[in-house]
Amino acid sequence: MLALVARRLLTAIPTLLGIILVSFVLMKLAPGGPFDGERPLAPETRAALQSAYGLDRPIWEQAWIYVSRLVQGDFGPSLVYRDFTVTELVAQGLPVSLTLGGLAVILAMLVGVSLGLLAAIRAGQATDKAIMMLATVATALPTFVTGPALALFLGLWLGLLLVSGRGDGVAWLIMPVTALALPVAGAIAKLTRAGLASVLKQDHIRTARARGLPESRILLRHGLRPSLVPVASYLGPAAAGLLTGAVVVETVFGLPGLGRYFVQGALNRDYPLVLGVVTIYAALIILFNLFADLIYGWLDPRMRES
Amino acid sequence: MKRILRLRHWPLWTVFLLVGLALILPFVLPWSHEQIDWDAVRAPAFTGSHIFGTDDIGRDRLARLMAGTQITVMVAVAAALVSLVIGIAWGATAGWIGGRVDEAMMRFVDALYALPFMFIVILLMVIFGRSILLVFVGIGLVEWLTMARVVRGQVMALKERPFILAAEAAGAPPLAIILRHILPNIAGVALAYLMLTIPQVVMVESFLSFLGLGVQEPLTSLGILVKEGADDMDMAPLGLFLPGGVLVLILVCLTIEGERLRDVYS
Repeated sequence: MLALVARRLLTAIPTLLGIILVSFVLMKLAPGGPFDGERPLAPETRAALQSAYGLDRPIWEQAWIYVSRLVQGDFGPSLVYRDFTVTELVAQGLPVSLTLGGLAVILAMLVGVSLGLLAAIRAGQATDKAIMMLATVATALPTFVTGPALALFLGLWLGLLLVSGRGDGVAWLIMPVTALALPVAGAIAKLTRAGLASVLKQDHIRTARARGLPESRILLRHGLRPSLVPVASYLGPAAAGLLTGAVVVETVFGLPGLGRYFVQGALNRDYPLVLGVVTIYAALIILFNLFADLIYGWLDPRMRES
Repeated sequence: MKRILRLRHWPLWTVFLLVGLALILPFVLPWSHEQIDWDAVRAPAFTGSHIFGTDDIGRDRLARLMAGTQITVMVAVAAALVSLVIGIAWGATAGWIGGRVDEAMMRFVDALYALPFMFIVILLMVIFGRSILLVFVGIGLVEWLTMARVVRGQVMALKERPFILAAEAAGAPPLAIILRHILPNIAGVALAYLMLTIPQVVMVESFLSFLGLGVQEPLTSLGILVKEGADDMDMAPLGLFLPGGVLVLILVCLTIEGERLRDVYS
């Protein structure tokens, strides 16, 4: 188990490095630079600025400096938020994004697995069809539509929740987390339903039934666990989806998360900020995939060795 | 053809109807999507010739909705075709050659699956300017992975079938076998996944446009319209509901139809 984690983390390093380098080179290819203001700078000033930021060195050397600083936790200065370093912005944004994403995964798992279970128990009946229809609709709901729609209903019309910002308490989490979780919950419900339907036809379930085990025990202990394997393998891609979703809900609800910095950075051409956030996102996705693999191994012991 | 006309294919009809309207209505409506009616700014629905009223600067909502649907559908079809071509080429090559090449190619796909590709696309948009062409290519580049996996699986299965072995034994060159014998046999599955790719693409395009990173004014798309509607929803909820509703309808219908088709072929 530990060996697996260590090996996976080691293979993650070149992947992460690759992403950073590709993004870095793309950034350097960009036309225009941070010093192209309204008035052209005097050549001496420009040269001084470029050497101060190390921009006059060859690109591979710049990349090396960037990566070696990154390892020490230094993402460089933000070009737009002049008073902050990218590290500070990331440190502010990350907890917000992690809270949103983490809660959304948990909510989606709870809702999705229960609905999928219910649908599988009532396979072929009206309940099953209704749940599956609902799940299909939910998977097709983009966060940038559900987010504003929720804000309009619950915030503006019913006046229950704050439309923007955080306020006191945890109520600010309700709408963004719901908007994020809906499509994931739909997909999980479908996967659980499909997984359980095929597992329930297998021999070990028939054996359990023949031994006279109570139906609830058969479903929860012998049926559900193997049928969650496809759900676990969906969690990796879902993480990428949640991060893009988080970009939207943070923008819609005015939350100071990573996603909002990313969009602001992208619109303002604040390259160090964009690069920093991409790096963090890549690391998060890799970590989440590892986590999903561990769950995978726990659900299906046959997968542990390979 | 007859089968498509059945009642259970209502999702497909709905999409066709919407696309048809989006293609025809701009020629019929008295307003274009960027024309400003100074006499009717923020007009409610059914004011004069504005069936759904006008937005906060007096542009006809229906005209904008149709223009936006047109662009969104166009981007979706083009980007889905890009992903189809890349996916089939990649998947068929890997599946046909097999062995180490296959393993390396599929590892690459697995690795890309785990990447925050969306963010690389955004990076591309920022750096190379936000042209609509880049939107096609960028989205196509993101969405070909599933297609490649599916096609590879199909090709692997077909490769061992007697008629393929026979064609090989008869000395047909590999490219001819792939084009003449393999592709026609995977067309159904490819169509099913193409149909499932389109909603994905629509989602990505609207996401980018919503953030201001995709399609740019004066062109409009459903994502831009949702954004405009969301900014003004306290004054005119219709501005959010119309494009949001059309977008969700297209997404839901294509997903239902695509999943049915996939279940038929798998």
